Amino acid sequence: MILKVNRKNIEVFEGALVRHALLSYFAWKGLDVSLVKNLTVYDRWGHEIDLDAPASQHEAIKFKLPKTI
Amino acid sequence: MKKNLFLSLLMFATLTASAQERRELHILSANDMHAAIEQFPRLGYVADSLRALYPDLLILSGGDNRSGDPVNDMFEIPAYPMVALMNQVGFHATVVGNHEFDSNQYGLARLIDLSTFPTLCANMEPDPKFNMHVKPYQIFDCGGIRVGVLGVTALGSMGTPESHPARLTDIKFSDPLETIQKYQFLREKCDVVLLLSHLGYDDDVKFSAELPWVDIIVGGHSHTQLDGGELHNGILITQNSKSLKYATHSTLVLEDNKIVEKKAERIAVAGAGEVNKTLVALLNYFSENPAFKRVLAVAETPFVCNEELGCMVCDAYIAETGAELSYQNAGGVRIESHEAGDMTVGDVMKMDPFQNDAIELHVTGKELSEMLIACYDNDKQRFPYVGGMTCEITTNPADSKITKLIIFDKDGKKLNLKKTYKVVSNSYSVAVSPTKRGDEGHSLGITTPDMIKNYLEHQGRVSYEGRRCLKLITK
Repeated sequence: MILKVNRKNIEVFEGALVRHALLSYFAWKGLDVSLVKNLTVYDRWGHEIDLDAPASQHEAIKFKLPKTI
Repeated sequence: MKKNLFLSLLMFATLTASAQERRELHILSANDMHAAIEQFPRLGYVADSLRALYPDLLILSGGDNRSGDPVNDMFEIPAYPMVALMNQVGFHATVVGNHEFDSNQYGLARLIDLSTFPTLCANMEPDPKFNMHVKPYQIFDCGGIRVGVLGVTALGSMGTPESHPARLTDIKFSDPLETIQKYQFLREKCDVVLLLSHLGYDDDVKFSAELPWVDIIVGGHSHTQLDGGELHNGILITQNSKSLKYATHSTLVLEDNKIVEKKAERIAVAGAGEVNKTLVALLNYFSENPAFKRVLAVAETPFVCNEELGCMVCDAYIAETGAELSYQNAGGVRIESHEAGDMTVGDVMKMDPFQNDAIELHVTGKELSEMLIACYDNDKQRFPYVGGMTCEITTNPADSKITKLIIFDKDGKKLNLKKTYKVVSNSYSVAVSPTKRGDEGHSLGITTPDMIKNYLEHQGRVSYEGRRCLKLITK
């Protein structure tokens, strides 16, 4: 299953949550995966969604880093 | 004087008539509550307050009521606390979400029987042997307004809800939109038609173009946080993110039995505020969950380090799934040791508190090797524990990067790097091991603590004294 995270295609396992797509994205980029829990995530319409949303429900997501890390 | 009296009476009659013609339907809805039992005292207070203003308040759930808190999900009757709390709040109906199947067909049937509200889903037909009392729709009389509530749930790529296939056998599922269209007769029978949807926001919007006879869609599944509601093709759509951070109060105004206004506002549930004290008492009762003290197995010898526990977790993955190999991120084993003696449900929850799903993959030895290294790199340079194999890991002392990894099978021979193996891990470990491989894997629809719990129950007695699966070399 593929979904776009900040415009990058990320392949995740069937049954994955948005959290898993973000973890994979961070791991690919060599970023600290522990930051994922603090992200604010939006669907393609710009609505906020949570990290436990099913990835299969979203074709594309975007995230914002918190202002203070 | 007579003229004034006549005018007063006329005005009173006019006001009364217009009051009869203008009516309001009020709905409080939540979705994807995922066992957020700690929010129920607040939700109860919100419901009580709205009910005081609007006695005919309709309270609905957009599905996925359970799965998210072990206090609920590991209760003696799994997920019963949520049902009891929803009964107490006064829910009128829920739709079946994919997580409602998490304690299998019989578990769901039992929960439905314990609910004081109907469970709706038009696009599922369980075999009669389950005695599962799911209804397609229910018509409610809300202060003289007839409200038809039709339930429908999402189907994944397999044509079934996203759950373990074994929990869905002998239940027929049908296409959501085709099914919904069969219930168009509700338009004739009711003043308001409400679709209680566990389809997700995208489908709710898409379907709204096909459903001009529906007035409102109370949604769930995609955890989409709307600012109250949105109008799409004239249909009011509502949904919130998970765990009862918010609920939605929708208002439909009817004049001469026609809807003239639709609006929705979100209400913050999470956080401090007034609470319903009966629900506090009920929550306290459930929180002292005796199921947590249940003994699953006896540890014949103490677990003296994290690695021995990690080996046991990996053995559980293999024994409970028939996998050949397994791995588990080291950071996911949250206790360092355990005394010899009883191992309880509570011990498992402390050991693995994250409610990760078990993931099955079919990967070659080489692909697995790359996944283990990626997991190491992304899990604070801690090598994952493994089952069905042992690993010899050489790292560079300068940057702790792995310079060499040798994997041995259970017979002590080097793992065949070309052979494909059935591997099971947890969802976190797989997510932080994003390598290029032939199979991304799929969820088995069971959480890893459940798997460990089952393993201990099946074993009865365990001993991992001196067991090691990793050999670390620094040079």
